[in-house]
Amino acid sequence: MSHEKLLDRLWLLLVALTLGGAWIGEAAEPGLAVTIIVALTMAFKGRMVVDHFMELKTANRTLRNLMRGFFYVLPAVTVLTTLFGDWLAKLTTL
Amino acid sequence: MLLTAEVPPPEPVAGRIPGNKGIWAGILSEMTEFALLFGVYFIARAHYPEVFRAGPAQLSTLAGTLNTVMMISGSYFVAKAVHAIRQNRQQACLRWLFLVLLAASGYMVIKALEFQWNLSQGITGGRNLFFTVYYYLTFTHIVHVGWGMIGLLWVMVRARSGAYTPADHDGLEAFASYWHATDLAWLVIFPLLYVLH
Repeated sequence: MSHEKLLDRLWLLLVALTLGGAWIGEAAEPGLAVTIIVALTMAFKGRMVVDHFMELKTANRTLRNLMRGFFYVLPAVTVLTTLFGDWLAKLTTL
Repeated sequence: MLLTAEVPPPEPVAGRIPGNKGIWAGILSEMTEFALLFGVYFIARAHYPEVFRAGPAQLSTLAGTLNTVMMISGSYFVAKAVHAIRQNRQQACLRWLFLVLLAASGYMVIKALEFQWNLSQGITGGRNLFFTVYYYLTFTHIVHVGWGMIGLLWVMVRARSGAYTPADHDGLEAFASYWHATDLAWLVIFPLLYVLH
């Protein structure tokens, strides 16, 4: 697939995932499963922008790892805060 | 011998830095700033889970969704502008940059309408900790979009004057990288503030 076609398809996919995310926010019952879906969607969208829009997939390794790392850590912390929120609250209580 | 001294060897593709090192210092600072603010969000959420579960339902999901579409589209348009200049299609590059400006302006208008709607509902930063974090994060993001729009106008002027060529368009790439980073920050803000109950 050409780079241009990849950009076009990714744009449509990212918009579709955004609309799906909005639907989840409005309609789905809150819970761990929904949190995991939201976190995975966040991770996927970020990775696609970093790799293909930002073109870091084939660029400097340090920059690629730092930017990709953002979308490993934040989705993971999103799920962990749901699972271990009490522990985090205790840890951060002065 | 003289010729090899004058022509530097091509940079390895795997080590290429899109744009320039200066913009990446700015981008990494921006990402660090947002990472700290997201850290505040997670700690606040751990302390007040009920407030953070109820918060998103009181915001306009429509505004959050439309702004996400604006940010993603702006990112896509600027990627197409870079692609166009690599093919030496200068007018196409300028047209894509104009679409970036439209998306950025749309984002600003939607944000203004959203804040107006919030205030009509009595949603201020002092209402509870969720909204304090919401305003901190979204105002910070607006500031970054604003800086980006100033950079965008400069890049458009440069593109219009024919300053970018397939061989030399580092300035355009630098702006594109910054704009993508601002999009990335929003791709975290949207689920945390508007979706995750």
